Amino acid sequence: MSYLEIKDLEISFPTPKGKYIAVRDINLSIQKGEIISIIGHSGCGKSTILNAIAGMLTPSAGSVVLNNQSIKGPGPDRGIVFQNYSLLPWLTVYQNIFQVVDSVMEGTATEKHEIVEKNLKMVNLFEHKDKLPGQLSGGMKQRVAIARAFAINPGVLLMDEPFGALDALTKGSMQLEVLKLWNLDNREKTIVMITHDIEEALFLSDRIIVLNNGPSSTIREIVEVHLPRPRNKIEIVKMPEYIDLRDKLLHLLTDKFSIEDMGMVYKG
Amino acid sequence: MSERETLTIDTLEEVKIASVATSQSEETKNEKLIVFGEMLLAKSKSLLLAALGLVIFGGLWELLSSITKDALPGPIATLTVLYDMISDPFYDYGPNDKGIGLQLFNSIKTVLLGFFLGSLVAIPVGILMGASTICKQIFYPIVQLLKPVSPLAWFPIGLVVFKDTGLATIFIVFITSLWSTLINTSFGIASLPQDHKNVAKAFGFSKMRYLTKILIPFSLPHIITGLRLSISVAWLVIVAGEMLSGGAGIGFFVWDSWNALSLEKVISAIIIIGVVGLLFDKLFTYIENKVAYKA
Repeated sequence: MSYLEIKDLEISFPTPKGKYIAVRDINLSIQKGEIISIIGHSGCGKSTILNAIAGMLTPSAGSVVLNNQSIKGPGPDRGIVFQNYSLLPWLTVYQNIFQVVDSVMEGTATEKHEIVEKNLKMVNLFEHKDKLPGQLSGGMKQRVAIARAFAINPGVLLMDEPFGALDALTKGSMQLEVLKLWNLDNREKTIVMITHDIEEALFLSDRIIVLNNGPSSTIREIVEVHLPRPRNKIEIVKMPEYIDLRDKLLHLLTDKFSIEDMGMVYKG
Repeated sequence: MSERETLTIDTLEEVKIASVATSQSEETKNEKLIVFGEMLLAKSKSLLLAALGLVIFGGLWELLSSITKDALPGPIATLTVLYDMISDPFYDYGPNDKGIGLQLFNSIKTVLLGFFLGSLVAIPVGILMGASTICKQIFYPIVQLLKPVSPLAWFPIGLVVFKDTGLATIFIVFITSLWSTLINTSFGIASLPQDHKNVAKAFGFSKMRYLTKILIPFSLPHIITGLRLSISVAWLVIVAGEMLSGGAGIGFFVWDSWNALSLEKVISAIIIIGVVGLLFDKLFTYIENKVAYKA
């Protein structure tokens, strides 16, 4: 049994018109320390799968098993980086992390403060610790959100489009930041992230899960990325394997769209 | 370890830090000066315009006074009386002749007491209505029905229940203070974004932590706005209430001065009522800004 095992997962929501199936037949075995990207078009159930691993949603069928334990709800073994940072605007950077550490972790107050300080320094935000989220840039907010998720030292890090709202330059340095933290931790943390950026997925992941369009999405294909680590953004783009993988992903994500587009053009 | 990755990060960070450090000290100094200058200019401009407004108002008042052949006392006559009133505010020559300070003190006491009791009911009920759809469905129709009723209409009921005009006045202030606070509180609680709830859920916040670190800080600005609106209306109502109840307070003073045909005193009292109302509003605006946060 692998570290994180998703078996025949189906998630549906009751609606006035009947049952709405978001995703179904999801089977995934994730090893400890793997970085997995889930990619797909909007509304294809990417977040739904992530939320099921997080324990924020209950599966309507199948199971999610982490470390031989069936997931029943949110827990300290999983740290979540939300899509829109979700920092509490009335708490300082320091307090945003401390409240979570204080809620999740055992230990004395001194130990908890040490954990918060260590994680703030790790993302280079210690000198901004007394600022409120409203005074930070998007990239800094995202670093707080990542530090918050890392601070509770979870085995699994779940990130829902973590860099979606950032500009290209900030995005690039944030990707490095995440890899840095992952390396510092001896590559022992499992990371599951959602993205719709093919380059980002290729740069970061060991495997890329491509989903079909919703509703009732399934896994369309699992693409393995064997690019050697450490990866250098400038160098990997020249590798033939990278180019092949990018083309493959591009096809997987766009073939349906181009047909629809052509139909539109001829109709119009 | 990946040397290349960490190397890239370090250089990136260094460049960032270096560029920030050199420019920061001088720029912030200049910026602060400029901001301060602009603030001063804007402040003096707004003060000047406010003074202009007062002059126009005084001029119109004087004109009206001379048209009515001093049946309406002019600004000078009124301000003289106002000055006399303020210079000896706390005299007490029996139940029908008390200084303006004592009357005002009485009104403020009544308003604060009624307002405090009203808030004590309105905030918890507002929280319940905001947090539970069932509570909202129970209470909201009652609120909708009673909110448009003039608080003065409650005065006879207060009299019957409490058999005391003073208590009845507190009662109408109490009723007045309920609605805005109740509606704003319930709105504030109900509009808590799912994002904040998710943080609490994902990181296993206890009920207490959820209440003190998420729900209350989020809804506090809404609650304070409700309180500010409530006390404004309460201060409006107290004057009318004291005209009905008689005996004490600024409202009674207005009525008594009218009966004594001293319009100067009536207008002076109006000015004082306005100033106190403004101060109440400023106080709550100040608290509002204190608890506000930038999303």
